[in-house]
Amino acid sequence: MTALAPPAPRRSPSATASGGRSGSVAWMAVPALAMFVAFGVIPLLGVLALSFAEWDGIGQIRPAGFESWRAVLTDPGLPHALWVTFLVMALSWLVQTPLSLLIGVFLAGRQRYREILAVIYFVPLLLSSAAIAITYKALLDPNFGLGAGLGIPLLTQDWLGRDALALGTVIFVVSWQFIPFHSLIYQGGVRQIPGTLFEAAEIDGAGRVRQFFNITLPQLKYTIITSSTLMVVGSLTFFDLIFVLTAGGPGDATRVLALDMYKRGFQANLMGPASAIAVILVLVGLALALLLRRLGGRDGGASQLEGA
Amino acid sequence: MDRSIISRRNFLGLTAGAAAGVALAGCGSSGPSSGTGGGAGAASYWFLTGAPGEGIRTNSVNRFNKDNPDTKITATTFQNDAYKTKIKTAIGAGEAPTVIWGWGGGTLRSYVQAGQVEDLTSWFDSNAAVKDRLFPSSFGAATIDGKIYAMPCETVQPIVLFYDKRAFDKIKADPPQTWGDVMDLVPKFNAANIAPFSLGGQSRWTNMMWLEFMFDRIGGSEVFQAVFDGQQNAWSHPASIEALTKIQELVKANGFIKGFSSITADSNADQALLYTGRAAMMLHGTWTYGGMAADGGDFVSGGNLGYMNFPAVDGGKGDPSDTVGNPGQYLSISAKATAEQKETAKKFFATAVLSDAEVKEWIDAGAVPIVKGTEGQYASSKDADFLTFVYNTSANAKNFVQSWDQALSPTAAEVLLDNIAQLFQLKISPQQWVDNMNGVIGK
Amino acid sequence: MSTTLTRATAAAGHPRHVPQPNTARRTRRPNWPAGIASVFWLVIVVVPIYWILITSFKTQANYFSTNPFVPPTEPTLDNYRLVIENDFVGYFVNSVIVALGTVVPAVLFSFMAAYAIVRAGNRSWFLRGTNWLFLMGLAIPLQATIIPVYLIIIRLRMYDTLLAIILPSIAFAIPLSVLVLANFIRDVPKELFESMRMDGATEWGTLWHLAFPLTRPALVTVTIYNGLSVWNGFLLPLILTQNPDRRTLPLALWTFQGQFSINVPAVLASVVLTTLPILVLYALGRRQLLSGLTAGFGK
Repeated sequence: MTALAPPAPRRSPSATASGGRSGSVAWMAVPALAMFVAFGVIPLLGVLALSFAEWDGIGQIRPAGFESWRAVLTDPGLPHALWVTFLVMALSWLVQTPLSLLIGVFLAGRQRYREILAVIYFVPLLLSSAAIAITYKALLDPNFGLGAGLGIPLLTQDWLGRDALALGTVIFVVSWQFIPFHSLIYQGGVRQIPGTLFEAAEIDGAGRVRQFFNITLPQLKYTIITSSTLMVVGSLTFFDLIFVLTAGGPGDATRVLALDMYKRGFQANLMGPASAIAVILVLVGLALALLLRRLGGRDGGASQLEGA
Repeated sequence: MDRSIISRRNFLGLTAGAAAGVALAGCGSSGPSSGTGGGAGAASYWFLTGAPGEGIRTNSVNRFNKDNPDTKITATTFQNDAYKTKIKTAIGAGEAPTVIWGWGGGTLRSYVQAGQVEDLTSWFDSNAAVKDRLFPSSFGAATIDGKIYAMPCETVQPIVLFYDKRAFDKIKADPPQTWGDVMDLVPKFNAANIAPFSLGGQSRWTNMMWLEFMFDRIGGSEVFQAVFDGQQNAWSHPASIEALTKIQELVKANGFIKGFSSITADSNADQALLYTGRAAMMLHGTWTYGGMAADGGDFVSGGNLGYMNFPAVDGGKGDPSDTVGNPGQYLSISAKATAEQKETAKKFFATAVLSDAEVKEWIDAGAVPIVKGTEGQYASSKDADFLTFVYNTSANAKNFVQSWDQALSPTAAEVLLDNIAQLFQLKISPQQWVDNMNGVIGK
Repeated sequence: MSTTLTRATAAAGHPRHVPQPNTARRTRRPNWPAGIASVFWLVIVVVPIYWILITSFKTQANYFSTNPFVPPTEPTLDNYRLVIENDFVGYFVNSVIVALGTVVPAVLFSFMAAYAIVRAGNRSWFLRGTNWLFLMGLAIPLQATIIPVYLIIIRLRMYDTLLAIILPSIAFAIPLSVLVLANFIRDVPKELFESMRMDGATEWGTLWHLAFPLTRPALVTVTIYNGLSVWNGFLLPLILTQNPDRRTLPLALWTFQGQFSINVPAVLASVVLTTLPILVLYALGRRQLLSGLTAGFGK
């Protein structure tokens, strides 16, 4: 045929950054959306509805307007729980991020022994929270634990009985469990950095430390944002480990928001206020996730590798 | 393009794998209360795991099923903490098992208020034989507003003061008969590098046992009875402040082992302190006897373990024979079960619960069932002394106060445990404790 | 196909690029601070693991009477035998089914959704809204939504099946997976998508032939994380199943937990047996995973 075939519809002249028409990809999000709506959003709406009711978990559900919300918002326990949650969040970020970064970069290296270490370092993540809590409760026992066993008096403190120590313990154990995960994220991130950048820097005479701060860190920016988002938002719903380790104690020194919610709902039988706290948790999580995205730069579509 | 065929094949392979896995997951039932086969009267029964109870309860169910093949009971077991969550969720969704195992007291009251359990008062009236053979004190925790809503079963578990005879030999002293003796012993034991009292403070309810006794010894059982009945400001009884102050004195005098707030009871670390000789005394439930006998080497078998009721407090109004703890365990019938299922459950109560065979199994396991007239059977058991002691303590106690965290509503119990922990850590004053607790009376 | 891309990218933007492995520059000076620090961290990681291992061979009786860090003088396999006798294999099989049944759909759906969000999120309100919805889903506490989920499962007549655990698990895995995957897909240079398009590939084809190989690290991370959450997940199996035949491994710990106390050595034996298979999987799979990681970008 001599006539030129018209250009295929896909070759649209407007070379938009994202390419492709939205219609041809939008369907791909449907399965995930469907599952999430069915088992995530609908239950969440149920929780929202419960926050406007009064229920002890076993009897009738009675609509109660803003009663539960008022009870929760005026309870001095709530600001305290928010404060403790913030402390746990901030401190565990401060501990986990530098360590995970360093370990991730370390493990991305290709030396043989680093591979063996990588397997060992990974084990804490494999253990269930219940297992870790049982282990640490035993290790922290003043008479039969670490301090007594190794004969180190410094380790024989009232770890779970003093406020600051309990908080520190929680942060340590949480970090112990999750640093492997974040270092895995960073490993993947470091592996994606083109070697050419390092080679160029080497040729220019930059030492290891300079390379780390001037190349590795900036290139890992989005990885850091991702890891931090997971860390920060994840610590909001953090429950299992703290529950078994300290049950919020001593007193309420480690009573994070998720624990407060559980105690109100399942132990004190106040499902209305517990649901209100759950809603608060979700809103705070959303706010934090958006804040971190904003911090990472508005244009989430820009790639880090341009110019590499 | 063959690549896209491969990728499609991969995709299909993945989906098929996922689907196969999902299909293996099988078809389900419509809820936990739907029986797994059997006739209309087939009932379900949920209870706790753990020796020796689990085995003994299962045996009773099996015996019943053998005698009643048309109306079988299906038993499912759960771990303690998991059970508490599970039963609450099930009842709340209207999917409770026919027979509900529980601790009576405040939780039972919440079931009653939600209309979820059967009123058994009339049944007990018409089956007086079933009622009369059990300890009368066990019915206290099953009675809500004058009506009986549960069948007492299993064993009585009072709280007892255990002590290490070797420790007392070392400082050449006698076990305390009064509170004054206790305070005198504290510096003597500390000087000998033995902690006076072992305590698994991280678990909180262990601290609670101390308060239960102190309140009762000083003010009599009326103090807690008033709280239980929901009277306003019932905690402001003068005995309260005295009891709380004395406890804090004991803490300040280093009466409890160092770092007790980090010691957990569920790992048996507190018992270990006693049988390894690091602590002289321990206030704990009788269930710990079995653990110490098994794990303590020759501690128990060598006759080093002593036990006694909590000492009297000078000037106290309470009867020194009073005891606290678990006056029994309780079986309720779900109000949402069908009529046939309820009949099956009642038959189970009348014929299989605490039958002679079951009683013997409990005694052999080293526990005291709540059945009258079994004294003779203890003499032949290997723990004859201990079991006889427990039996006498329970049967002769003028008042048997149920553990506070079981007797109170779950809401109040949470506040109670939090405040007790803070009291023992000397973070709040006795008056603050009283005020906080008054705030949740009747909630 | 991926190697073609690699060389194409390399030729396009890196005139100085010499395809050699990264190790060349690192072997020159041994990194002492890193080595020492890694030993320090090794100790911190290993001490509790070591404790778990040796205690699992002790009996409850000598658990307290011996030093916690000294291996037992008379090691016993009783705890392990107890665990296996108590239907460990059955629980294990259930856990495997639940893990596979959750992770495969979850990662697949999340990958598709992340791709869509990155590729067309700017222009489609639908995709933007979906993205927000998933962000909100990051912080939904399971303990709060468990009761509505429970009621939904009962209405769907799925109570006491493994499916009851799988479906909500998939839903809860999606927000985090989409977040991580989307961030990695964003790093794929736009030029590559353009060149795929110009070659006539469909979006679906681009998903599998471009995004999939290049996002391998993220896919691996997400698979591991979700797999572990489900493997160790406790609340969903507790509330949504009942029959012991449907129980998963975390519930196997019950066997050793009584009303007032835990049989610690037996619990630890159970923990070891639960963890060992996935550790072996990880050790074997790591080589495979990492060999794929550098094939992506033309380093």
